[in-house]
Amino acid sequence: MNGTEFQLDTILQRTVEFFTFKYDFVATTLAGAVLVGAICGLLGVFMVLRRLSMMGDAIGHATLPGVGLAFLVVGHKALAPMLVGASATGLAAALLVGFITRHSRTRPDAALGIVLASFFGLGTVLFSAIQSTPSGAQSGLNDFLFGNAAAITVQEVALLAGLLLTTVAATVALFRPLLLSTFDTTSATLMGLPVRWIHYGLMATVSLTIVASVQAVGVVLVAGLIILPAATARLLSDRFHLNLILATVLGALSGALGAWLSFLFTGFSSGPSMVLAAALFYALALALAPRRGLLARVLAAARRHAATGASTPNPDDDDRLFNDQTADARP
Amino acid sequence: MSLYSLFVEPWTAGDWMWRGVLTASLVAVSCALLGCFLVLRRMSLFSDALAHVALPGLVGAYLLTGSTGTVAMFLGAIAAALLTTGLVSGVKRYGGAHGDAAIGIVFTALFALGVIMLSAFASDADLDTSCVLFGDVLGVADHSIITLAVLCVVLLASVIAFFRPLQLATFDPAHARAVGLPVAWIFGGMMAALSVTTVASFEAVGAVLVIAAMITPAATAHLLTRHLQTMLAVAVAHGLISAVVGMYVSIWLNCSTGGAMVCVGAVLFGLAMAWTHLARALRRPTLTAPDPASFSSPPTLESP
Repeated sequence: MNGTEFQLDTILQRTVEFFTFKYDFVATTLAGAVLVGAICGLLGVFMVLRRLSMMGDAIGHATLPGVGLAFLVVGHKALAPMLVGASATGLAAALLVGFITRHSRTRPDAALGIVLASFFGLGTVLFSAIQSTPSGAQSGLNDFLFGNAAAITVQEVALLAGLLLTTVAATVALFRPLLLSTFDTTSATLMGLPVRWIHYGLMATVSLTIVASVQAVGVVLVAGLIILPAATARLLSDRFHLNLILATVLGALSGALGAWLSFLFTGFSSGPSMVLAAALFYALALALAPRRGLLARVLAAARRHAATGASTPNPDDDDRLFNDQTADARP
Repeated sequence: MSLYSLFVEPWTAGDWMWRGVLTASLVAVSCALLGCFLVLRRMSLFSDALAHVALPGLVGAYLLTGSTGTVAMFLGAIAAALLTTGLVSGVKRYGGAHGDAAIGIVFTALFALGVIMLSAFASDADLDTSCVLFGDVLGVADHSIITLAVLCVVLLASVIAFFRPLQLATFDPAHARAVGLPVAWIFGGMMAALSVTTVASFEAVGAVLVIAAMITPAATAHLLTRHLQTMLAVAVAHGLISAVVGMYVSIWLNCSTGGAMVCVGAVLFGLAMAWTHLARALRRPTLTAPDPASFSSPPTLESP
């Protein structure tokens, strides 16, 4: 079992160690994981409602060449150039998807796939070239792919906290324009809202967030942390502001749970653990959500059946329940 | 650096170049064929999902059987692919998620599970995440090349043999169902072929690059052609060119072979996009002389 201990007392002891911050790095790790979860959850609501769910995946994969380029230019592993390079290629990928969709017959899903895979391919080329150079004895590639929350530094936590505060402030200040442009692009455009710039702003924020989250979750699975809390919140509430709050809280909880799991068991990378925690919340919500959960649906159907004595179609059933007015948000 | 040392010498230094190009070509042809149908059905991102969920399938099969034999691996990956297909439609139906969100929910959860299962419980298996993600065209075993060759031949033969049903089911599933084609089975078969191809191609180019091998050739061909036959042919050609040119580029730059192939493919897509724009610009009539033809009535159906 590869040193993985499943004795209950060991687990309890390690849990106490974790939540009382017995080791110095634990506080940083937990703070980083919670912040990453919260900010990804918050932005995820916009991404999922605007049907850009997989854009997070593309941006995440597209940060790889940015890191490689920064390494080639600077010549060593440094945080600031890596962040700049990764945000630049992440944003470039997001814009390129829009460009290809607007300027060719290629459909959004294919454009996304091409951009994702091409940027990742470019990243692998750069990384393999770096590894074959004498100075390229960098070992952080695996951390970069799957995350290592224990390696989060205080500066990164500060960066994440700043990013979260800015995003929350921007969401509160621009609540109405964001709401309108998310749910009804046409009206928003007619009312003179800069819909395209809102989209670009969102893409830039998501790129920055993903780049800042890479240390904790890695590039491959950051999409899960963006989609899952938002989808869970969507099952629990119909109100936009409640969705935002719920997704932020669920994301933060997933972050904490994931960091704890990854501290507890060897072989649990922090990124996959956080995504797995978020998936657990989603599965719970899918089963038990008050109105949309499977249990609630079965009970409602049984009640109707008992009342009428015949099976009638559920008036609350899927299509009407999820009353989608969302236009395709890609500008 | 002579032309000889750039182009010919790699072929003379052992058999690795032959094997590499053969493997890459087989992967390129299989993926390009399937990719056309995926892109036309707007399911490109499904290849992303299947490429990732193969990992939990492989690890699950290893944990159950304790072997990394080809058969167990294939069955595991196909089971994972079927599970994914089922879960995605379940999440769409009951979770109210749109297509791409449903795919994202299912594959990230399963991939996370796979990574953890691999690193926590199966670290003694001869699988590792970086190999699954990046692959190695030059290190492919004999039996894998044979599998790829058989797969490629079977796929080519089935596309040729079932061309009409595939075409009809892809472009107009409702009509296909109405004339009695087993559309669900056709799509099921396509998914099975997709997962088998993904797993077989893994070792050579890695998970993420399988996505590129599927989508980029098909999307390029989709830009340039108007018929399914030509689209398939152009996609296969695109795949083969990317494979061979990518191989050379990776030798010259001493970099990852799979990555180089993807980059060459992406450049070809960019060229195709530029070409379609250029062609449209050249065809566009000038505004100086009004073209009388443009004012004539549009073609109508035969009058009664």
